[in-house]
Order: sequence, then C-alpha cells, then structure tokens
Amino acid sequence: MRVHVWILLVAAVVAAALVGIGGGPVALSLGEVWGALLGEGDPTHVAIVHGLRLPRVVLGLVVGAGLAASGTALQATLRNPLAEPYLLGVSGGAAAGAVLALTLGLVGPALVPLAAFAGATAAVVVVLLVARAVSGHADPRVLLMAGVVVGAFCTAAIMVALATASENQVRTALWWMMGSLGDAQWASLRWIALYVSAGLILLATWARDVDVLALGEEAAASLGLEVERVTRRVYLAASLLAAATVAGAGLIGFVGLIVPAIARALGASNTRQTLIAAALAGGALVVVADLAARTVMRPAELPLGAVTALIGVPFFLWRLRSLR
Amino acid sequence: MSGRLRSLVALLVFAFACGGPSATPSMSGTVDDFGDTLGLVAPATRVVSLNPVTTELLFALGVGERLVGRTSWDLFPDAARAVPDVGNGMQPNVEAVLGQRPDLVLLYASASNRLAARQLRAAGVMTLALRTDQVADLARVTPIIAAALGAAERGRRVVDSVRASLAAVGAMPRPAAPVTAFWHIWDAPLMTIGGGSYLSELLEIAGATNVFADAAAPSPQVTLEEVAARDPRWVLAGPLSAVRIRAHPGWQAVRAVREGRVITIDTTVVGRPGVRMGEAARYLRRVLIDAPPR
Amino acid sequence: MIRFEDVVVRYRGAAEPAVQGVSLAALAGRVTAVVGPNGSGKSTLVRALLGRLPLASGRLLLEGVPIGGLDRRAIARRVAVVTQREEPVFPLAVREYIGLGRHPHGGPFAVRDDADRAAIARAVALADVGAFLDRTTDALSGGEWQRVRIGRALAQGGAALVLDEPTTFLDIAHEMALFELLDALAREGQAVLLVSHQLNLVARFADHIVLLHRGRVAAAGSPAEVMRGDVLERVYEWPLVVSRDPAVGAPVLVPLRGRGTR
Repeated sequence: MRVHVWILLVAAVVAAALVGIGGGPVALSLGEVWGALLGEGDPTHVAIVHGLRLPRVVLGLVVGAGLAASGTALQATLRNPLAEPYLLGVSGGAAAGAVLALTLGLVGPALVPLAAFAGATAAVVVVLLVARAVSGHADPRVLLMAGVVVGAFCTAAIMVALATASENQVRTALWWMMGSLGDAQWASLRWIALYVSAGLILLATWARDVDVLALGEEAAASLGLEVERVTRRVYLAASLLAAATVAGAGLIGFVGLIVPAIARALGASNTRQTLIAAALAGGALVVVADLAARTVMRPAELPLGAVTALIGVPFFLWRLRSLR
Repeated sequence: MSGRLRSLVALLVFAFACGGPSATPSMSGTVDDFGDTLGLVAPATRVVSLNPVTTELLFALGVGERLVGRTSWDLFPDAARAVPDVGNGMQPNVEAVLGQRPDLVLLYASASNRLAARQLRAAGVMTLALRTDQVADLARVTPIIAAALGAAERGRRVVDSVRASLAAVGAMPRPAAPVTAFWHIWDAPLMTIGGGSYLSELLEIAGATNVFADAAAPSPQVTLEEVAARDPRWVLAGPLSAVRIRAHPGWQAVRAVREGRVITIDTTVVGRPGVRMGEAARYLRRVLIDAPPR
Repeated sequence: MIRFEDVVVRYRGAAEPAVQGVSLAALAGRVTAVVGPNGSGKSTLVRALLGRLPLASGRLLLEGVPIGGLDRRAIARRVAVVTQREEPVFPLAVREYIGLGRHPHGGPFAVRDDADRAAIARAVALADVGAFLDRTTDALSGGEWQRVRIGRALAQGGAALVLDEPTTFLDIAHEMALFELLDALAREGQAVLLVSHQLNLVARFADHIVLLHRGRVAAAGSPAEVMRGDVLERVYEWPLVVSRDPAVGAPVLVPLRGRGTR
C-alpha cells in the first residue's frame, strides 16, 4: 500500500483522538483542553478530560482496532467478505453472559464484563466442538452453521432471563447490548488494551498463513498449510479478540464488517497490511462515532451500536451496488 | 430567583386546591384515567390496591381493614404488611387479584395495566385506574377514592393536611443562593429526574433546584459529562448508588463528588406522591438546606 | 518425482475403496497423465497427495521419501498441486499471489531472500506471466489465471508439478497453450503429473499414460500402448474408435453414436 495512504491513516487516528478529547457536551477551548491534559486549570475540566474523555478515546481506539482486526481475520478465514467478528457465537455468548449476570443480581462493576467475556469464550469453544463433531475438519460452512445454532440457543437463554427480570434489569441489559464507551476507566482499560494488543500481535504473526488460507482449502493444503490447525487458531484468536472488545464496550456492530473493506479499498494488498490499516481505521471510526453518540442528542447519549449501524448501513448498501 | 420559586410554590398549591373533576365525586358516574366509568351501588367493602400510593391512602382514610390485597412493594404503613400480597402492580396477576373476591380494584393508570383493567371488568369487578405521578395527583385522586369508599369527609381532611404540610415547607425562607441538586436514579444508562417529575417538584418545594429541570421526560438519560457541566451543588443517590458514585473514578469529574457532597437519600421516605409527601419535602429541606451533612 | 505403490484410499463411510492398489510413477523430465472415467479414482489420488485423505494401505513417495514422514511444508516444497478450481475471495496482485508460492519456505516474518527472488523470477518466466504482474487476480481471463496459478506452483520450487483437470474452463487456444507449457516444463526437467479428461491432447503431449478404471490401473504405458480402441471402449463403456491423425501423428479417439440412438 502506498506510503501516503499509511500517513493518511495515522493522521486520521490522531485527528480522531484530538476531536474525541476536545469535543463533548462541555465546550472547551483548545487552550483549556491542552491545559487540562497537562493537569492545569479548572479541576472540573481536568477531571472531564482525564477521567471521562481520555479513557473513552483510548477505549474507542482499542475496541475499534480489535473489532476491525478480528473482522479482517475472520473474513479471510471463512472466505467470506460478509463475515464479521460476532459471527461465530461471540455476540450471543457475550450477551447471554452479561444478561444472566445482570438478572442474577451480580452487579459488581467488573462482573458484567467478566461474565460477558466468559459467555463469549464458552460460546466460541462450543461452536468449535460442534463443528469438529459434525465434520472432521474445520469447514467454514459447518463453522457458520454451528455459529447460528449456538447463537439461537443464546438468544433463547437471553429471552428467558429477560422475561423473569425486573424493569430496571431489562433496561440495563438492553443498554449494555447496544454498546457504549461510557464504562471506560483506566483500571479496566489496561487489561482490555493488553488483551487486544496480544490478539493483534498474534493475528499479525499468522497473517501470511491467513493469506494462504484465503485462497481456498485445497490451494492452502497444496502450499503446505495445516488447514485445520490454522483455521482453528485464527478463528479462536479473532473471536476472543472480539470477545475482549465486547467485555469493554458491549456490542458494537458493523465496525468489524465494513472497516476491513475500507482497508482493502485503500489498497491494502495482503492480510498483514489489511490488519494494520483496518486497526487504524477502525479505531478512528469508533472514536468519531462515540463523539457523535455523546453530542448529537444532548444531554442524552445515543447507543454506540446505533451510531455505527447508521454509518454502516449506507456504506454496506453502496458496497452491494458496486459488487454488481 | 426566590420570586420565581415563590410563584412556583403558589402554582403548586393552587393546582393542589383545584385538581380533579369540578363536580364532587360520587360512587357512580366518575370517569377514571382509563376512561372507564365507576359504577358502585354501595361503598366498596373489599378493596385490592395495586399501587403503593393508594394502599397508604386507604389506611390514611381509616378504611385499611377493607383492604384484601396489595402489591409486593406496598410496605407502608406497617399494617399493610398484614394484607395479603397479590404480586405485581404493573401487569398484575389478574387471577390472584380475583382470588381475593374484591368489589373494587385500584390500579395505576399505565398502558401496561389496560389489559388487566379490561379483564377485571369483564369478570364483573369494578376498577379505578388513576395516575399518581405528580404532587397534584394526590389532591385529585383522594376525593375519587374516598367517595368510592364512603369516606368523603375523611378524604377532605387528608388532602387538607397534606396540602398544609407542603405549604409549610414551601413557605420556609428560600436560600439566598440557589441550591442545585442532581438526583441519581439509575446507572447504565445514567438516568435522573426530569422537570415534570414528582421528585423534581418536591425538590422545588423544598427550596432546591433540579439541574435537569429543563428535561421534559420524567426520567431522562444523561451523560456523566453533562452532569459535570451543570455542576450541581449536591448529588443525591440511594444507598448502594451513593457508594458506587463515591468510588467510581469517572464521577470525580463532578465537583460535588470531588468535594464530598454526595448525600445518601433514604428512599423509604422519599418515594412516591402519597400521603407522606409533606414529610418527604421536610426531609429534603432539612438535608439540602437547613442542616446539610458535612 | 512422485511414486504411488499399491495405494489404497477409502472415503469415510464408503463401502468400496475409491483407489484399490494403484501403482504409478511420475518421473522427472516427462509428462505423466492419469486418465479414466468419472469416479475412477483420479481426483482421489490428487487428494491423497494433498494430505486431505489418508492412505488405507500402500506407500506414497516423494523423491524417495514416504509422504507420512514429511510435514505438510516439506511436502509442499517437493510437489506443487494445481487443483481444479481456485477463486480467491479477495483480489490479490499477481505478483503477491505468485510470491505466496514461497510460503512453504519461510517463517511468519521471513524476508524474501535471493533464493526466493530467483525462484519467483524463474516461475514467472516459465509460466510466461511477466506481463500481468501488476494486475489483480480478479482481472485475468481464464487462460491467464491458469498460467498464473501454474506460476505460483512453480514458485514453490518443487521438482514435481501436479495438475487436476487444468483445461476445464479453457478454449482451444488456451488448452493448446497450456499443454505446450507443460511439455516445455517437462523438457526443463520438471516431473509433471496431469489428471485430465482430454484424451486426445493427452495422447499428443503425454510421455506416459495411466488409465484408471474403478480404482485400479487398467493400462499404463506410452500413448500408442494405452490408446487402443478395445481397452478404452471397455473402460469408458462407450463405443469408440481410435485412429491415427496424419496431421499430428498421434492417436485420436473418436467416440461413436451410442447404441439405441439414431
């Protein structure tokens, strides 16, 4: 990919971060923002910039990168440009975990994200086991169907939980499922960033294998790839990466679906380039979407998942048209 | 500022005095908030109350012994605990209610209760669906319910007493500088009380100002940054929430939290627009203005 | 080169093995063709080479080493397989695609060294795809794409090249060009193993033909030896005659009208 496109991407990330830190319901001048970053000035402004906006921006960059990278890897592994990070059980499992935790009354601050992560992990493993039991090798079609089945089961579990929950629990569950960066705190952010970085590094390491895998099972086998093993490990890494983002910010759709396409449209020619470009673009996108979510309908905050869907749907339709 | 408050209190008192249908309510002919007509031949003797406000009201009217069913949430006064629990007040279990063989059922007039009202009426039981959302509602519904129970005189005394206690608080000297407050209702999403809500009215009577009084919805959703921007003097929250707020790093953006001005509200006192409204207003007045915790 | 020795392969759950005791050798410097009716076991042999199917019995040797003793990358360094269909979902630059042929040689972060570059250059030259290096895989015609795939297979650097029905979607000109390419590769020393339905072209270009029938070798030898009317008619279960075409000097198979039709 051309150098100036890389520069553009990095600039986009920096710009998004600046806009995300500087923008919000409280109008701050550039000078005030700069001062607040340095810890000077009105303590409320400092607290807003350091305690509210900065963690949100960092979480947004991390979540956006994670989702975009996960989507890139899954689309290549499943050989399907419509694949997205939540496809194989992640969203259903995470939502089921979170809703169960909420309705069981486990409302400690870290418990819902942990439950979401546990639920996602369990669902991902079940999908793999089901696929393996049905067909010996990790056939993408079987994986997809197993994902649908597990997803359906999780939906049923969520419905049962919500039917017996109180009004407030239902409200919280729905809010969580619609995605938000509002829970960004430095303490938990550290873990999520670590986890997402590990996932990104793993996927980048396996990027060449993924390139080969994307050619097709037989072509990959003829190039010496252990198709089964590689499919399984890429799928696991990509899904757990998505699960980590869900633990941090709930369900945010469309990012993992459209950002890899954007990266490819910008000229990324192999998986490694697409991963990195998508990570940058995804981070910038989520940060900007979050800014819109918290300023467009003041004083309320729109669910982040709604904003990304509003961006994603027209983009998707445009892509469908250009496919003809 | 104090002039505005004074006229607001006056408006509330006025609304209190004239709320409700112009004709004196009777046992039959009154139309409730669902548009159904009350048609009792004699005062009701077996009443199921599916609303904590009306449960308390019945005891205040001195007809508590006629109560044969209440919701799981109706715990005031203590005598109410002896009344059989028939489940939820919203989307109630109609079978459980009918099991108590009432001749009158008092419902909260929300859309989710329309079906129950229809089913009860179809089973031959008289229903009264009434909204009890705001301060003025008590003065409106008390005469209706009192008439249905043949306790009209008692009803008038209850209304007068509550009005007087509210007026007493409203008449207390307003603070020189406005006392602003943020009332935390819920996390995830962060919700507070809007301008038209009962708690917001109560704050105004007590002499304080709701920082989100401009929000039209009764329970608007807001962002933490917005709360920080509006810089309330006090943050009010229930016991569990107060602990969370003090511990959460994000809340440090709100000056009141930083400077330790989070008040734990006794939710059993300040709950609903019922007969203890005056007490609630006095409590808020004391906590926010006269003797704030430090 | 590739040697099958009494290979038996069975599909999971099948009553009969798909390949029963097949022995054949694809030696360096010549084009070996495996032919036979549908279901005779031709593609099964290719799948066994790809490791997609285990051997029930028998041996499969690559340059004298049994395939069981080699890991997939080692196999890929010795033999390159061009399968029937390949459609990359995400378009790649041709240059990039051919470069993937070096995958069995390097680690995840291996940088292209001289050996890699030389192998790629040789592959590009042999497959004659130098003109499309900067095009993307979705912008090639059927014939061009087939040549590019062969280029990638050659870049793997193995001594053996296996192709499964390589001319299925090609017109006459491209078919001929492909067979000429395979012939040239064999002259260069490559061991070419070809599975094909195109009996006439195989008869012209192959040095050694193996005819399979229901999982067994029905005939093996030079085109003159195998391309005989009685043998082929029995195997293909269709009336045909084999004549010699004076224009090309190779046996030509002519299928006749089926019995009971007029």
